[in-house]
Amino acid sequence: MSNGFSASVVGKVVLEAVVVVVAAAAFGFGANELSPRGLKLARNYFPSGTDQAVATSRISAPIVPTNSAASSNITQTSPTDPVDERLKDKGLQPISRARTLELFHDPRYREGPIVFVDARNQEHYEVGHIPGAFPLDPYHPEQQMTGVLTACQAADQVVVYCTGGECEDADTTAILLREAGVPNQKLFVYGGGYEDWAERRLPIERGAKNSGDISGQTK
Amino acid sequence: MSISEPSRKAGIIDFGTIGARWLLGALFIYTGLEKVWDPVAFLKLVRQYDLVQTPVLLNSIAAMLPWFEVCCGALLLLGIGVRGTALTLVGILVPFTIVVWHHALELGMAKSIPFCAVKFDCGCGTGEVYICTKLMENFGFILLSCWLLNGRGRRWALSYSLV
Repeated sequence: MSNGFSASVVGKVVLEAVVVVVAAAAFGFGANELSPRGLKLARNYFPSGTDQAVATSRISAPIVPTNSAASSNITQTSPTDPVDERLKDKGLQPISRARTLELFHDPRYREGPIVFVDARNQEHYEVGHIPGAFPLDPYHPEQQMTGVLTACQAADQVVVYCTGGECEDADTTAILLREAGVPNQKLFVYGGGYEDWAERRLPIERGAKNSGDISGQTK
Repeated sequence: MSISEPSRKAGIIDFGTIGARWLLGALFIYTGLEKVWDPVAFLKLVRQYDLVQTPVLLNSIAAMLPWFEVCCGALLLLGIGVRGTALTLVGILVPFTIVVWHHALELGMAKSIPFCAVKFDCGCGTGEVYICTKLMENFGFILLSCWLLNGRGRRWALSYSLV
């Protein structure tokens, strides 16, 4: 009987633990491979966006001309906002809620030159999103990327948002779009995000893009 | 025939050990499946600890660990390689608890709040929890895992020892 803690028992238990670790790790990697929700091991899910091109665009990021008098204030957010600081560290341009709202009400938003991209997952998107925003989950972009990329490349201004605050999915999405060829100067990240938008009872669309199921103040 | 005092005590210990095995097994299956359901969310939580910088390593930890937990939980529940699995769990829980404790210390200092007031999602599969509750919970799991090393409670085990 191998009760107790004799040297041979300890050795057997350690050996057994090694067998368990190897088997469980193999099971873990195998199950991840087979799972439709599994992670792709080689992919960088959190691109840092601090390459040379970004550094250059960060310094010289021009403001895209718009037909709005307030366009020069596009990145005018609180200088000490940690979210803005984080975005700037990644070479991204923050955009305030006021300016986001202006772009939302700009007639060009309905026509295509202004595009909103929702960087949350499909489940959250369908619960509610800024009306007309494209869904683009940066961790599962495969199915949505082509359509969103086409719209973003044709647009003059692209506003990306996620939940807001500590959520970095909008940063990741903006970097993803930038790496796919969308010029950095077109890209803006609304750091307040969906929570900030919804808290102020601004328009929310439920379900799919352009479903028409809209609630909240439209003005 | 009356049962002698020592054998009754041994019986209680055996049943206690089986209970501990099932409890730990069920817990690890549950928390593992919670993470498996949303691997990206778990990936983000692992990233918060800043343990590794290489994407492939970070992804490997986040991809493998939840299923690893499920596997260990199933082994305990079925009673396969029980002591080896228990030792493995101790090997996971001790460093993980240290990492969580360290991260909570940093959060507490950054927010200037008392240690026990720190609340965050540690990636344990139970959502946001107060750090002191989490540490006590983990301490309990470590004790239970250590208890399983005693070699008792072999009833209802498919293959108690693998080697």
